[in-house]
Amino acid sequence: MRGQRGRRRIRLRERYERRFYEILRELSVPLVILHFTLAVGTLGYMLLSGGDFINSFYMTVITIGTIGFGEVVRGSDTTAGRIFTTFLALGGIGVFTSTITVIARVLFKEELQHLWRRLSMMNAIDKLEGHYILAGFDEVTAELARLLERRGIPFVVLDDSREGLARIAELRLPYYLPEAPFEQETLLAAGIRRAEGLVVNLGDDARNISIIAVARLLRPDKEGFAIYSFASSPENAARLEELGANRAFYPGRMVAGRLAAYLFHPESDYLVALFDRLAFGEETDVDLMEVAVEEGSPWAGRTVGELRAELGANVVALRRPDGRLELDVTDRHVVKPGSRVLLFGRTARLEKLRARLEDAHEHA
Amino acid sequence: MSTRKLLTDFFVLMALTTNVSFVVNPNGIELFITVVTNLAATLLKVGEGRILSAELMATGLVADLHLIPALYFYYTGDPAESVSLAWGALAANVVSVLLVVIDTVLKSSVEEE
Repeated sequence: MRGQRGRRRIRLRERYERRFYEILRELSVPLVILHFTLAVGTLGYMLLSGGDFINSFYMTVITIGTIGFGEVVRGSDTTAGRIFTTFLALGGIGVFTSTITVIARVLFKEELQHLWRRLSMMNAIDKLEGHYILAGFDEVTAELARLLERRGIPFVVLDDSREGLARIAELRLPYYLPEAPFEQETLLAAGIRRAEGLVVNLGDDARNISIIAVARLLRPDKEGFAIYSFASSPENAARLEELGANRAFYPGRMVAGRLAAYLFHPESDYLVALFDRLAFGEETDVDLMEVAVEEGSPWAGRTVGELRAELGANVVALRRPDGRLELDVTDRHVVKPGSRVLLFGRTARLEKLRARLEDAHEHA
Repeated sequence: MSTRKLLTDFFVLMALTTNVSFVVNPNGIELFITVVTNLAATLLKVGEGRILSAELMATGLVADLHLIPALYFYYTGDPAESVSLAWGALAANVVSVLLVVIDTVLKSSVEEE
């Protein structure tokens, strides 16, 4: 049993805690020396005064602390008492000042403060649920972090590169781990078991593949845990999807696509920009949402007109159970079970509708 | 043999023996030495890479938190309360010594593996 424990991987938190106590360990020897100096001083004055502990301890503290209020304990004004005080002051003052120096040096150590901050952050990450993990933090991921923040979606950033850490410090991100993102321990510490998804952007495909492989080992279910990755070419994007990513993006194609939308619809500039912002999550007030209408749902079998009146949101399209998109929806269209309704409206209202429908499905 | 482990184990055992002698025959100097050895053992345990370091630290702190008030009560005229607190510290010190033995046995079995 012990052998198994010896071979087990050391968790990230454990590693931080060990290092934290290792640093604090530097305090123990100076503190023990100070402790014994105080003990010898107190014991000496106790013997001189016939057992007056409180005053003996006080006398020792004011002697080695260079306060020197006077000879407050009985017996300290005798020849033996003064010889004892002389030697106590000679040794004790040095011990006291050097111990204070060591304590200040250790407590103000940057590494100790970093470890303390990381441990507190890990406590906060442990409470997160349904969050996203962003592995790698370049300009693109920083922009993504900004969008997630605007939507109030929690995320944890993993990056150990100098540039990434500088960017993290600049943006004052609430949750990050300055560790190698493809390590299993880092992903576990980032709460991968409770996370909603992972965004992989480590700069090269080999590193992206390694993190996707580790993440899929920990969360094999593609439905329950989505992995989105960046790829250096359209061919590699396809490979990353085969290897476990739900979707892999070639950034060049994405930017070109967005730009092309403006070029192809020069007369609908406003509409293109609105759909662009909706699609990329930049518009927070209004949104498009796709809601599944399952068997037993209160929406199943109702007409689009009834839904429009009841929901206060626009039903802009329907996806039939066979996947066909119905764009010309009139009020008379009936929503069959298994279809998906495309709603357009205020984000807050859409979220409420989704919650209401999920609740109805649970109780159906 | 680690010097630090030797020193820590020495103070853990010394804390127990002086604690016993105070309980058997209450005496101010004896109680003071018990507190000193207990605190020294606790300070030496800080950051020590033992298998049971958290448990050892906890028992050491329990003993300290019994003995420091015991010292106060002894010198403020309530020796009976002081002795009863020292009994509490004695229980914690017995556990400390047992933990040191268990830790040493565990560590040697790990090293053998």
